[in-house]
Amino acid sequence: MNHLQQSTPLVQKSTDYISREVTEAISIYKCLYPGCELRFIFRIDEATISATATVSEGRAPLHVDLLGAGYLGQVNIPGPHDASPAVTISISIPRPPLPSERRQTDTPWQPQRPLRFIFRMAPMLYEQIRYLAEMARWRRADKSHRTSSLPFGGSALFSKPRAPATGKRPAILVGMHWLEVGGAEKLGLDTIRWAREAGLRVFVVASVPELQRLKGQLPDSPDVTFLRLDRYLPHHLWPRYVEELVRAENIRLIHIHHCRPLYDALPHIRTATPWVKVIDSTHIVEYADGGYPRISGVWSNFIDMHHVISGQLEDYYRDKFLVVGKVRLGRMLDRREDAGALSGFRLQAGQKSLHISFIGRLYYQKRPIIVVETFRRLSRWAADNNVELSGSLVGEGPFLPAVQRLIQRYGLQDKVALLPADTDVPALLERSDLMLLPSNNEGLALVCYEAIGRGCIPLSTDVGSQYEVVPADLLVPLSPYDTVRETLGIVDRLWRDPAFLARQKQELTAAFSKLGRDMTAKEILMPIYEETALSAG
Amino acid sequence: MKKLLCLLDDVVTMLTKTSAVIVTFNRAAKLMKVLDALQCQTRRPEIILVVDNASTDETRELVVARAKEDLSIRYLRLPKNVGGAGGFHAGLKAAYDLGADYFWISDDDAYPEPDAIEKLLQAITSFQADHEWRPSFACSRVEWVDGSLCEMNTPRTVWDWPRFVRPGKAWALVDSASFVSILVPRWAVAAHGLPIADYFIWFDDAEYTRRLSRSYPGIFVPESRVIHDTPDNRGVNFGLVDEKSLWKFRYGARNEASWRRREGGLVNVISYAYGAHRQMKGGNVPGKLRREIYRAILRGMAFHPKIVRI
Repeated sequence: MNHLQQSTPLVQKSTDYISREVTEAISIYKCLYPGCELRFIFRIDEATISATATVSEGRAPLHVDLLGAGYLGQVNIPGPHDASPAVTISISIPRPPLPSERRQTDTPWQPQRPLRFIFRMAPMLYEQIRYLAEMARWRRADKSHRTSSLPFGGSALFSKPRAPATGKRPAILVGMHWLEVGGAEKLGLDTIRWAREAGLRVFVVASVPELQRLKGQLPDSPDVTFLRLDRYLPHHLWPRYVEELVRAENIRLIHIHHCRPLYDALPHIRTATPWVKVIDSTHIVEYADGGYPRISGVWSNFIDMHHVISGQLEDYYRDKFLVVGKVRLGRMLDRREDAGALSGFRLQAGQKSLHISFIGRLYYQKRPIIVVETFRRLSRWAADNNVELSGSLVGEGPFLPAVQRLIQRYGLQDKVALLPADTDVPALLERSDLMLLPSNNEGLALVCYEAIGRGCIPLSTDVGSQYEVVPADLLVPLSPYDTVRETLGIVDRLWRDPAFLARQKQELTAAFSKLGRDMTAKEILMPIYEETALSAG
Repeated sequence: MKKLLCLLDDVVTMLTKTSAVIVTFNRAAKLMKVLDALQCQTRRPEIILVVDNASTDETRELVVARAKEDLSIRYLRLPKNVGGAGGFHAGLKAAYDLGADYFWISDDDAYPEPDAIEKLLQAITSFQADHEWRPSFACSRVEWVDGSLCEMNTPRTVWDWPRFVRPGKAWALVDSASFVSILVPRWAVAAHGLPIADYFIWFDDAEYTRRLSRSYPGIFVPESRVIHDTPDNRGVNFGLVDEKSLWKFRYGARNEASWRRREGGLVNVISYAYGAHRQMKGGNVPGKLRREIYRAILRGMAFHPKIVRI
């Protein structure tokens, strides 16, 4: 708090909060500019929960814009000697988030304004238009984005830099997209735990300046440090910062989980600190531009190993980037939890009641509008066949209000229950006959694997690597109208045709066993972490 | 400054990252022998790019299994069979993107002797160091399985081929060679572009090497040897046209006629057609087949495939 003792007292904001943020920012720039005099100009921005930072190398004059209402003051950190070059850093500290912001920052989803009337009249038509627009974007994607690996040359003519002796235990730098809810983030948090178990010190960074709501799930240990580069370091300075951090903290391994600025830093990292190994994990090929697997493939020559979670991604790296040998498949499964979890399927042909579930965040990717439409059609089918239908929709997100309105509009309130995201999913799956997953895109949805293990039959769109866990006869096309129609057809056939049902159960069991035999992410990554932990200090 | 220039001279010879480009189609067993031969090279290519022309045999499984163990192997599967020409075009483009300094191009049934690539690299860099001229490619001596010269892979010499031939460095200047163990430097690809994919098969290698030779001829490196495992040892001669081989000869006739029209005009094509006529007559090729060849030559006159630059 020394730097803040002379600051103006701050109304409504705790001094602890400001102090913590100032300390975070100063430590980042001390690492980045070890030989410089640092001149910080701190502001607080009451309007936003996002920080900004600008850096000028030199003693930049203060502009009047920086000295407005939010101006907090300056902190000068002297350099190691009188002639040290100066760096001016202007930092805008965000205000602390409100309780409502901590819970959810996504505003409720609204249809595109010009098409709102279409959604009001025919929600499925709106979905179809959106689907067609996305597919058109996908067809154009390859032309506007690089889809070949960047070359990485080099010769033995010049000597390469060597790792300095720090005397510190080896460390890993884990780069995340953000610390918010998501599949990639779950794996990221797991890998942080595994790295620590392996004996590594762990430094974590995120690229997107969100509230990082999962920060609390990081292991509470002096060996785990979350660096707020997302808030206080502009992306163009990441390469130099990472180099300094590698040298200062004996970082031997970098693991990238969907972290764009770390990919961009690879040319600098691989040449300035060639002793550092780089691995990455990828999850899902995005329609628009290939997403992180494409970025990873483009940087493939700078990366030592690609960890992927599905067979589709193995194929993607091979077919798009010609890479085979350094791609390692490691499923996001926990062998201890999942071993022997398969119980019998509940659904029997001709049964008089049917419980169907949907589990997923209520974002467009999961297509909740199509889920409700499917329930509407199933409700009619159930009435025609004298079946008592009930449904559960688990999840929260920006589509929740729209889903609620549609359920009311279709009169499904008595049949379909909306459940919060913290619902006991295994228990729900254990009392569900079928599970719907009409997603727009998936890597390999583990909820399908979990459903099979709990005796619930999953029906999914034929996207991503879903073919690995769901039999071909239970996969439906992506086009919204076809998704609903085919789902209805499959439910009808499963209910009516005992031979078909028996065959699907057999194939689901086979798929479940096959996935269970594959290597898990932990089995792929742990040996690398352990080997790194044994490297020199 | 002088020291820096010396350093830069060294860089010229130190940048020797090599990529093998092998085009394959439904010859998995032979391809595996090629990969075995590459494994045993005294100078292994840093990248081994297998270009699969949509094979329907077990090529994919075998290459992927091998690539999982050998990080240097890259696998490019083309969506359909685009012929050897399309395969070499796609492969060279991909290898160029991967950043190699030299491209060793070969067929899926040609097994290089253990020092074949090292000898090619040695020759092309030594030639440049000794004479300052940059050969646009270096090609091996291609032998058939019995050790005799492989007829179809005989390079064509230039008029002053012995200009730099010396004892121990008998590297004749050539301006045409086949895609069987040929080493092409990166600069030549940058300067002249890629092989013509539209040729599909035959004459793609001759056209490409002749195009490269516009900068400077290539060199024939007899100490670099490769065994070409073809069913028989026949040259390419219109006197050998039969029902079975007609489809290939038609591509060859169309492609060469197209090239001759581009490089030498109508007279050159007429001369070529006359040569083909003489060969077919000499080989007693049936009239029906001859007419097919003439038609292919005519098609070649109107065939103007685009040369794709890097």
